[in-house]
Amino acid sequence: MLKFILKKLLMMIPMLLLISIIVFFGLQLTGVDPINFMVSPEMLSANAGNVEALRESLGLNDPLIVQYFRWLGNCLRGDLGYSFDGSSISSIIAVRLPYTFELAAWSLLLSAIIGIGIGIISAIRQNGVIDYVGRVLAVLGQAVPQFLVGIMLIEIFSIKLGWFPSANRVSPGTTNLAWDAFIHLFLPVLTLTIGMVAVLMRYARNTMLDVLNSDYIKTARSKGIPEWKVYLKHGFRNAMKPVLVILVFRIPMLVGGSVVIESVFSYPGIGLTMTNAITSGDYPIVLVTTLIIAAAMLICSFMVDVFNALLDPRVRLGE
Amino acid sequence: MSDTKTVSIKEQNKSASSSLLKKNIRKFMNNKLAVLGLIVVLVMTLACIIGALMGVDYNTPVLTAMKKAPDAEHIFGTDTIGRDLLARVLYGGCYSILIGVFCAVASSVIGAVLGAISGYFGGKVDTALIRVSEVFQAFPQLVLVMMIVAIVNKRGLGNLLVIFVITGWMTTFRMVRNEFLSLKGETYVKVCEAFGMSKMSIMFKQILPNVMSPIIVSTTTNVAFFILQEAALSFIGLGVADSTPTWGNILNAAKSISVVTNQWWIWIFPGLAITLFVLAINFLGDGLRDVLDAKQQ
Repeated sequence: MLKFILKKLLMMIPMLLLISIIVFFGLQLTGVDPINFMVSPEMLSANAGNVEALRESLGLNDPLIVQYFRWLGNCLRGDLGYSFDGSSISSIIAVRLPYTFELAAWSLLLSAIIGIGIGIISAIRQNGVIDYVGRVLAVLGQAVPQFLVGIMLIEIFSIKLGWFPSANRVSPGTTNLAWDAFIHLFLPVLTLTIGMVAVLMRYARNTMLDVLNSDYIKTARSKGIPEWKVYLKHGFRNAMKPVLVILVFRIPMLVGGSVVIESVFSYPGIGLTMTNAITSGDYPIVLVTTLIIAAAMLICSFMVDVFNALLDPRVRLGE
Repeated sequence: MSDTKTVSIKEQNKSASSSLLKKNIRKFMNNKLAVLGLIVVLVMTLACIIGALMGVDYNTPVLTAMKKAPDAEHIFGTDTIGRDLLARVLYGGCYSILIGVFCAVASSVIGAVLGAISGYFGGKVDTALIRVSEVFQAFPQLVLVMMIVAIVNKRGLGNLLVIFVITGWMTTFRMVRNEFLSLKGETYVKVCEAFGMSKMSIMFKQILPNVMSPIIVSTTTNVAFFILQEAALSFIGLGVADSTPTWGNILNAAKSISVVTNQWWIWIFPGLAITLFVLAINFLGDGLRDVLDAKQQ
């Protein structure tokens, strides 16, 4: 098992390297010159000699391969470099990554509880009220674009009712940190949760139904085990395996969705940092944020593999 | 003699498959939601195409009629610079549906071909293709969009199509690969191999037809997925340029809070169009799954 995990972990390194190579050289192809961000156009034409010296000192005249390995070496030493406007990327990431993490973790937790909860109830009380309402909501939740849900929530809760702020993560001069976090996180988390719940609910319901129709549940019932115990001990535990896998599979969607949702709520996380850097052409930031998101995706698929292996010994033997 | 016999077997097969088709159609017709979905999809697509063919004016701003609420002249109202919204939603529908259908079909074709190769040959080819698909899966789509936009220096429809296809084939690929892995051990494949049939024709003529049902279902639901994806990209301003309307970039107007609060028609109609179409596609996909996928019954 340990060997399996180690092997999977080691596989991530060449893949991240490959992605960094693609992005690094892809960004070079776009032909953006960092000098243009540092020096104003008038200075550029007047002091051609100085600009050339600056270029030389920044190492921009070296072959791309050399530049790539210099960047990689710096990254490995923990120096992520500087954005085009001169701020340290490490410090930007240090502030914003936890924000995104908060957003994703709460959404994941809430959607898991709500989605699996409703899914199981609607499987047990099939064709009941909860089942019916849940199914309608699930279908709708998958069809309305997520950012539109976000906008409507802003319209209702921030503008009409004024309960929650429509943007940002911290309000200036706040004293009650927990409350401040709550009001800023509530709407974006709710938006992401709605999208996730729709999928999870449907899936949890179907797996639970499959399990409840299987022979060992009938056996358990015929042994006279109380109904709730049949659901929890025999049904739930077996239904959870595929549901957990789907849950972990959904995390990349959450990462992708949070890029858009952060933009809707002007939530200063990694996603917003990346979209802003993309639109302003700040490529050092694009490079680092891309790698962070890619690493998150790879870790998720690693977790799916490990989960599968833990739950199903056949996967391990196959390796 | 043997010749006539093959023909008759072929005809038998034909009549068998046509009665299966009839049975499937009947089964599909019994699923009311799926039929409703199909009707909505067809009606919306036709309306958009007819609107576009009639040459509705979607692109001339009328500065005297900015942000007008729906009335007899502009049934859906006008947008922030006075363009008729009905015309834009119809025209945009053509592009959105085109994006959805094209990307879904193209990524399914790529996924199916690569998945067939990966599953049938196995070994090193399989490992390599799996790695490639994982790299694509981990790659943030936005960055790819941005790189292509910056390289070709324009925000066109073509960019988006290319990017959606190259970032969208992995799920079909995995599914087809897994099916091939289990199907290639079947007796009929061994028989074909023993007859010396070429690998190409075993893969695509003998095995692939057995995997078609899940491919068709996932292609259908992917249409909805890509339409939503386009809308999200357009919303953060990285989609198709505004001169080519799509449901997504019409909705982009909802970025401004004052529009959301005061001009509901500007975002409600394109939002409804997307939601309705995606809903219909999902119903259709579910219906097809019930009919085609024997395992789900």
